[in-house]
Amino acid sequence: MAEEQEFKVAVLGCNGIGRLVSTVVRMAGYKIKQMRPDQVELLSCGRLAVKEPEHMELLEKYPLLVIDGCRPHCASFMADELGRQPAARIYVADVMAESKLNVAGEKRRGLTEKGEKLVEAVAQKAVEEIDRVVADEMLSTL
Amino acid sequence: MADKVCLQPCLGLRKEAVLCRQAFYVVHEEMRPDQTVLGCGPALNANVQEDLDFIEMYPVMAVEACDLDCATKLVDKKGKKVARTVRVTDLAEELSVDLDGLPEGENIDTDHPAVRAMADRIAAMVDEMLAA
Repeated sequence: MAEEQEFKVAVLGCNGIGRLVSTVVRMAGYKIKQMRPDQVELLSCGRLAVKEPEHMELLEKYPLLVIDGCRPHCASFMADELGRQPAARIYVADVMAESKLNVAGEKRRGLTEKGEKLVEAVAQKAVEEIDRVVADEMLSTL
Repeated sequence: MADKVCLQPCLGLRKEAVLCRQAFYVVHEEMRPDQTVLGCGPALNANVQEDLDFIEMYPVMAVEACDLDCATKLVDKKGKKVARTVRVTDLAEELSVDLDGLPEGENIDTDHPAVRAMADRIAAMVDEMLAA
């Protein structure tokens, strides 16, 4: 029965522009989609900020993973504003601390190998959360 | 007369949005560093003071990846009106940029000719806005 249902996670990264982590979050989003193409719907902060109906439907339909880049936690703010409790949250600084990565000298316009390692670490953490959330959803139907 | 323009991108994930974002970096970091600020949509939505100040203090140029015009609407949501809304698709047509040739789901290098062409045009628009 379970395989007949659609188990996906909506991923809301902040996708800002001002900081290096903005680029890390955006690139991690692309990587997450590559790693779990059938389990992920990438959400756009811009569309949700103006409550675009198609994105609002995705937000309502699937459990939500939020990825915050910097201290204001703008993606979390957006989820709260829209009344959606995330099933999981990732904060890039936490991943950086856990993975002991150093991205000093990286630029927001384009990452080198150093920045890509943090992207990889964020994406890896995200797919672990996605797999957990999907498993939880699936088991709840059995 | 304003001395800076707030560049407000849509910040979506499609290639048109990435093209806009990369062109904004070129304009802000290389071409018009003292005449522009970069407005961050999620931060503006979250009422980060710096981004609220940007739309309060400076005329806003919103560059949109599609006809949903999310950046323009977000500025509206915060009680301000953008001075100018431009769509990447219109700029691409004007500049003969082949959007079909750009990659989807990855970064676009700031040295890419399409980014450079967009940046040149946006910088010219900044100059027009500051001269108005």
